[in-house]
Amino acid sequence: MENKLHVQDLRISFRTGNGKVQAVRGIDFDLAKGETLAIVGESGSGKSVTSKAILGILAGNSIVESGEIIYDGQDLLKISEEDFHKIRGDRIAMIFQDPMSSLNPIVRIGRQLTEAMLLKGKIRQRESKRSFRTYLKNLEDMMAASASNETERARAAVSCRKFQQFERKHTELESAYNTSHEGATEALDDIGIIAFELEKNTVAKGAADRIKDIARRSRESLNKYVVDPDKYKAEVLQNASALEGNFQKKDYQAVLENLYRLREIMTEGAEKPKPNFFRMGYYLTFSDKPLPDMPLEKLNDFLLDYLEKDFMTDFVSDAQRALIYSANQCYARIRTAVQELESARSVYAAEQLDKNKCVDTWKKLGETVKGTIDPLAISKDSLVYTFSPSMRSELDKYFHGVKANVGILRRHERERRKYDAIVSRGGKPDWEVAEAAVTDLELIKTNLSHIIDRLTAHYQNVLNTADSRDYHTETIAAIDYLMQNSSGIVDKVTPRIARHRAIRLMEEVGISEPHKRFRQYPFEFSGGMRQRIVIAIALAANPDILICDEPTTALDVTIQSQILELINRLKVERHLSVIFITHDLGVVANMADRVAVMYAGKIVEYGTSEDIFYHAAHPYTWALLSSMPDLDTNEKLTAIPGTPPNMIYPPKGDAFAARNQYAMQIDFERQPPMFRISDTHYAATWLLHPDAPKVDPPKAVIDRIARMNQRREAENE
Amino acid sequence: MSNQEPLLRVEHLCQYFRAGNFVTKAVDDVSFDIRKGEVFGLVGESGCGKTTTGRSIIKLYNITSGNIYFKGVRIAAGIQSYRDELKDTKDPARIAELKAQIKAARNDQKNCDKEYAARRMEELKAEYEPKIAAAAGKEKTLLETQYKDEMRKARKTRLVTQIQMIFQDPIASLDPRMTVREIISEGLVIQGERNKKVIDEKVYEMLELVGLVREHASRYPHEFSGGQRQRIGVARSIIMNPELIIADEPVSALDVSVQAQVINLLNDLRERFGLTILFVAHDLSVVKYFSDRIGVMYYGRMVELADSDELFAHPLHPYTRSLLSAIPLPDPIYERQRRRITYNPLAEHDYSVDKPSFREVRPGHFVQCNEAEYQKILAELSSK
Repeated sequence: MENKLHVQDLRISFRTGNGKVQAVRGIDFDLAKGETLAIVGESGSGKSVTSKAILGILAGNSIVESGEIIYDGQDLLKISEEDFHKIRGDRIAMIFQDPMSSLNPIVRIGRQLTEAMLLKGKIRQRESKRSFRTYLKNLEDMMAASASNETERARAAVSCRKFQQFERKHTELESAYNTSHEGATEALDDIGIIAFELEKNTVAKGAADRIKDIARRSRESLNKYVVDPDKYKAEVLQNASALEGNFQKKDYQAVLENLYRLREIMTEGAEKPKPNFFRMGYYLTFSDKPLPDMPLEKLNDFLLDYLEKDFMTDFVSDAQRALIYSANQCYARIRTAVQELESARSVYAAEQLDKNKCVDTWKKLGETVKGTIDPLAISKDSLVYTFSPSMRSELDKYFHGVKANVGILRRHERERRKYDAIVSRGGKPDWEVAEAAVTDLELIKTNLSHIIDRLTAHYQNVLNTADSRDYHTETIAAIDYLMQNSSGIVDKVTPRIARHRAIRLMEEVGISEPHKRFRQYPFEFSGGMRQRIVIAIALAANPDILICDEPTTALDVTIQSQILELINRLKVERHLSVIFITHDLGVVANMADRVAVMYAGKIVEYGTSEDIFYHAAHPYTWALLSSMPDLDTNEKLTAIPGTPPNMIYPPKGDAFAARNQYAMQIDFERQPPMFRISDTHYAATWLLHPDAPKVDPPKAVIDRIARMNQRREAENE
Repeated sequence: MSNQEPLLRVEHLCQYFRAGNFVTKAVDDVSFDIRKGEVFGLVGESGCGKTTTGRSIIKLYNITSGNIYFKGVRIAAGIQSYRDELKDTKDPARIAELKAQIKAARNDQKNCDKEYAARRMEELKAEYEPKIAAAAGKEKTLLETQYKDEMRKARKTRLVTQIQMIFQDPIASLDPRMTVREIISEGLVIQGERNKKVIDEKVYEMLELVGLVREHASRYPHEFSGGQRQRIGVARSIIMNPELIIADEPVSALDVSVQAQVINLLNDLRERFGLTILFVAHDLSVVKYFSDRIGVMYYGRMVELADSDELFAHPLHPYTRSLLSAIPLPDPIYERQRRRITYNPLAEHDYSVDKPSFREVRPGHFVQCNEAEYQKILAELSSK
């Protein structure tokens, strides 16, 4: 499966008055496309901090000590705030814990829903423009470069200019169509409501304004492909203007008649199939003749023929040639890059790294690696993009460490001498010399070589799969990409369009009477409804990744299961990847594909939800499982004794040891590594060490698993 | 146990809120008994009136109509229903009767505490006066001061102080500018306890009881974790020696591991003092674990009431069924197959002709239903 997000060795601390609180202490995980990863833990275990780091909204006193969060070819920990604006809320969205405090109490729901759409609309437009231009420029260059003769070269320049021209026409037509179509559907919605009210003779306040709106929108919906002006213009105009007059005269019967007629016309228009504006744009730009008069399906076919013959066949073959040329060039550069990487290894494997040499090599390598990026590739290769910054940060750490270690060692030596002096005098000092907290230079060196390893492996993979590439599909994808971006340029989000989309979204998340609700304030919503609004806001920008930070903790059972079902449904419909943060294991069973249990800033157990619920291996997971009652629990609940450790002074060994009834001596001395239980299941506890005594999970857990099996069997029969 | 006099009896409780021309029926005709020493769970979705019921019992609201009896004394009475009837009736005898009832209700609502205090003072008088008359010299003065002190406290006694409340949000329910000692002892001080030593002793005792230590008394709420704060809330309520505790979602705002601690604590206290608890919650697993009997509320009405095992084994009202089907369980395979039953009252019932009422379908098992549904349920039960 495609990996969406990759988190590696993330360490985050917070500067406080009492010292440095180590909130997250080295966690790694991946998130695949369309997968739900649940992060479970008590409050203070660092789960929310992790999610905030992904979204770049950590508090001001935070220090990111190390790590990478790789998303779409960028390391989210290292990009600028300006770049983050394009990702936050747009590609990665978040549902916050408390629906009471995550909405602005003095702004109407509608404003809050459309705010992001309007803001992001502009950014998207700009982005699309930029990517469209650069990509077309690259394509043109490559076409020209790969041309075998002068005619082809000339054709490349012409066809690219042509493409740009008719794309503009296409987008103009399309946006005009969109405006009219949205106007029509919106007017239809409103007509429905007003007509209902008039029939029941309960006209609400502000109806005059709404009638006016309907009239305006009906006029706007006049477009060749929605409501045909030639046929209906007079009628629409007449009905629309009669509406207002009749309403003022309080002649509701006449108003209703007008409305019904408008509805009839516009329903027909709104349900019409959409013409293919891409093809039409080409025809209208380059043929001198007007559009032939024929039914839509035929017209579409006719336009397709024209486009193919006149332009597209050549363009596609040219583009494909360009793509192949560019890819081949790229492979050649990759081969040199691999060699260069191999030869650079020695620089970073030296006993003592030489600063100048290292930095020079880094610069050179960075250039080479950047050169291997195919300008015509649409998807971004994370590793290639993050190579240079990752190397840079490791090198910085190394050379800073070299400097700092000297001082630390000197101080340590002084302390050691002091201690020895006391001992040699026969004294018994009541303190011990702590280990010197030096930066582990060897570790950084392994990291460096690891980064190079990963990249070479990746390159090797690219070279190996070179023969099996399907250039034709890629060309089509590239042209689609261009089309998408060019329609992004004219995809202007006006307040009205935003309103329309917001109302559709509210319907999608299950809010009844969205038109009415749109104008209300948050206090008029119940907790569950408010959480739905929060979800709608998160989905407004159509994100890739949805982070849910305890989305149902404040809600009751029925609403909770509704919200969970909603998130599950949207996940499937929109291919979302979800990070689900909670302390309630019951909720997790419903949602998660995989579960990570966190304690004191570390992931202590990691596996599929079956692994965690049926074969839990870490004492903390056992404790969590046995501390919550289910419907068959009768015995006293086993609460976890004590409180989580103070993360200013994290314990030396296993952080859970102090509260763990199964703790062994080694738990207080050394941190357990991640033991592998199966391919998907890992846990960090010394109990899994081959030398450890065999321990069974607590009775409550075993009993529950037995009960669960029984129930399932009973139901299967 | 069933023939025992209930500790709390709620009869046809209605609590309406008026906002402009809009009347919200937060609680609509709810009746139930709570027996001494039991835990009565009240469940339902948010906004169904569970909390309002709890607050009406402790007289945080003036109820619209209905009666609430605590230890046989009417502590709250609503007059709206009488007034409505008064408007419609023409019969003079009935009018006089209704007027008398309104007067009685007003009187009870206002004076139940005073009467209780007066009764308590009478008792004290009867106890002390012969003693004082019999005693002489130093002993007499001692008894006299003691008598005076007790009388002062008795004058301030309120019946309702024997009902105490634990609130949902442990952060918002503690005054951030008071120390834990002040928070816990506030009730005692209001009751007229002035002896600092006695107060301190009592506070320490309570702190130890709920699993905190003496040193915590001089700290402020912000220095505690959520679970500890909720313990302070528990200590504050049991220092008054209550007979009935209304626990309004005491564990909803806590982490799972801490939830277990607080539930265990409440269970211990209940065994130790024989407390009666009205447990309001929306987490059904916790309610099932903790309660003896459970009432299910939906939109201000009680739709089903039964022993907790009985309710979970044989849910009869469609809303209860939908509620039970929504409980998440820590069992992934089961969860993936689970189908939630949705409850749509309009599709489920036809109450256009026959209005529903609260009927007993089995001993101790009540369901809100109309005649047709009642017969259906009976048939269903007998066929099992």
